[in-house]
Amino acid sequence: MSGLAILGQNVFSGIAIGGVYALLALGIALIYRSTNVTNFAQGDITMLGAYALYILLEQLGLPYPIAFLLAIVVMGIFGWLFQRFVYYPLRNRSFLPVIIATIGAGILFQNVALVVFGSIPRKVNPVFASGGFTVGGVYFDLQYIVILVVTAALFVFQYLFFEHTSLGKKMQATAQDKTMAQLLGIPVALMIAFTFIYSTILGAIGGMLVAPIYFVTNRMGSTLGLKAFAACICGGFGDVRGALIGGIAIGLIEALGAAYIAPVYKDAFPFLLLLVFLLVRPQGIFGEKVSEKA
Amino acid sequence: MMLEMKGVSASYDAVQAIRDVSLEVNEGEIVCLIGANGAGKSTTLKVISGLLRPNAGEVIFEGKQIQKTKPEEIVRLGISHVPEGRRVLPGLTVRENLELGASVRKGLSKADLNKEIEHQYELFPDLGRLRNALGWTLSGGQQQMLGIARGLMARPKMLMMDEPSLGLAPIIVKQVLETTKRISKEFGTTVLLVEQNASMALSISNRGYVMETGRITMSGTSKELLSNPQVNEAYLGGRSRKLKG
Repeated sequence: MSGLAILGQNVFSGIAIGGVYALLALGIALIYRSTNVTNFAQGDITMLGAYALYILLEQLGLPYPIAFLLAIVVMGIFGWLFQRFVYYPLRNRSFLPVIIATIGAGILFQNVALVVFGSIPRKVNPVFASGGFTVGGVYFDLQYIVILVVTAALFVFQYLFFEHTSLGKKMQATAQDKTMAQLLGIPVALMIAFTFIYSTILGAIGGMLVAPIYFVTNRMGSTLGLKAFAACICGGFGDVRGALIGGIAIGLIEALGAAYIAPVYKDAFPFLLLLVFLLVRPQGIFGEKVSEKA
Repeated sequence: MMLEMKGVSASYDAVQAIRDVSLEVNEGEIVCLIGANGAGKSTTLKVISGLLRPNAGEVIFEGKQIQKTKPEEIVRLGISHVPEGRRVLPGLTVRENLELGASVRKGLSKADLNKEIEHQYELFPDLGRLRNALGWTLSGGQQQMLGIARGLMARPKMLMMDEPSLGLAPIIVKQVLETTKRISKEFGTTVLLVEQNASMALSISNRGYVMETGRITMSGTSKELLSNPQVNEAYLGGRSRKLKG
């Protein structure tokens, strides 16, 4: 394999995995924007999404598209329940109790998954059984291509939905100024519920996309969630473009670091990038320095 | 009578902000609420629009008690609250802000919406010019115009404006006032105006109430209040004028 092919291979897989981080980061960013709270359970929601796909696809034997869509519906309902029982009761408190509640919920999800599915990793088949193809020495795994296509489609949807629909604008208004949104007659609680549902679905889709690549375990969400969190900080917390660019940056640095520096530290490189950002540009790529606007 | 408050008291946590406030606003009137900073003027508006639930008393709008109604439902009844500090949505464009202003109106067609937005651009030419600019890029005066125009997009029966003159240059204050008067005439909108700038508020309103430390201490027609020596001394700079003279 030529040096260029190795580079190409790592860039390809780095961007693809980065796409998954970007989806999770987008979910974290949207919730942060509309509630000022960081959802630390986002990674474990991803894990639940992967298990949902596992049950529907592998245990019930449903065809892929149906299993995928059904898992999205189930996780959407789960997102509503999550906001109703984790966020809503604490909505008028400061951010700290809510954050602690999301951490607690994440631990609960991990342990419930352990009780239900045990500690044996579960395998989920990829979307296409045929594997992939090789171009110029670079192997294009079809599952990675699926990840890229789905991520791109979701970010395009994100843009169209938030910028060009009335509901999207109401959700933006809620994120920008809740009191004013109320005075304009926007049902703020409902908009926040929608945000949680959508963010949960994004995380769950991320989990369904990586399920065939990694094994599905009850712990798979913690590293994914932390890397998505790192992606958010690098990109600029709460920024949609930042979630995308940050996610891909994390995916790339992880793949390239593992290939050229040391594979054992694969999981450490994203956090190295995070540390660099925290020291040099804590507001992230697209973030602005936090200040009150008069 | 359009709006009536009867013995309303409200507080923020343990701090009592208004006590036993009673006032009336009739249809088609411009009524102002004047007083110093912290007198409870904004709190009164917040109670009416549902942002703050009173501890005691009644708020009656068109014969219906609304003191326990949620803010998003009160807008639908026909009360539009343009809060202090303009509260323009910073990440949305001028046009999007205006569109959201009309979001409470069910069954408004796209064509009618466009027509009404165009009409706001006529009332506030700056907004027409800046229709695609994001809210945070507007100047203070432009944000104030947008706040009012957005409030009008709900086609309210009553428009409540909190300190529209705050932080604006005198010439802009004059513009805002003239527009307020025009709106009241043109749409038949009742206006409840909260102002620290008492002479300005009284100059365009029919009646006024004076608030001090959470209570209403005086009321009357704007003419009466303007000629009242106490009001003159406390709020219209009467004493300083005398000193200068």
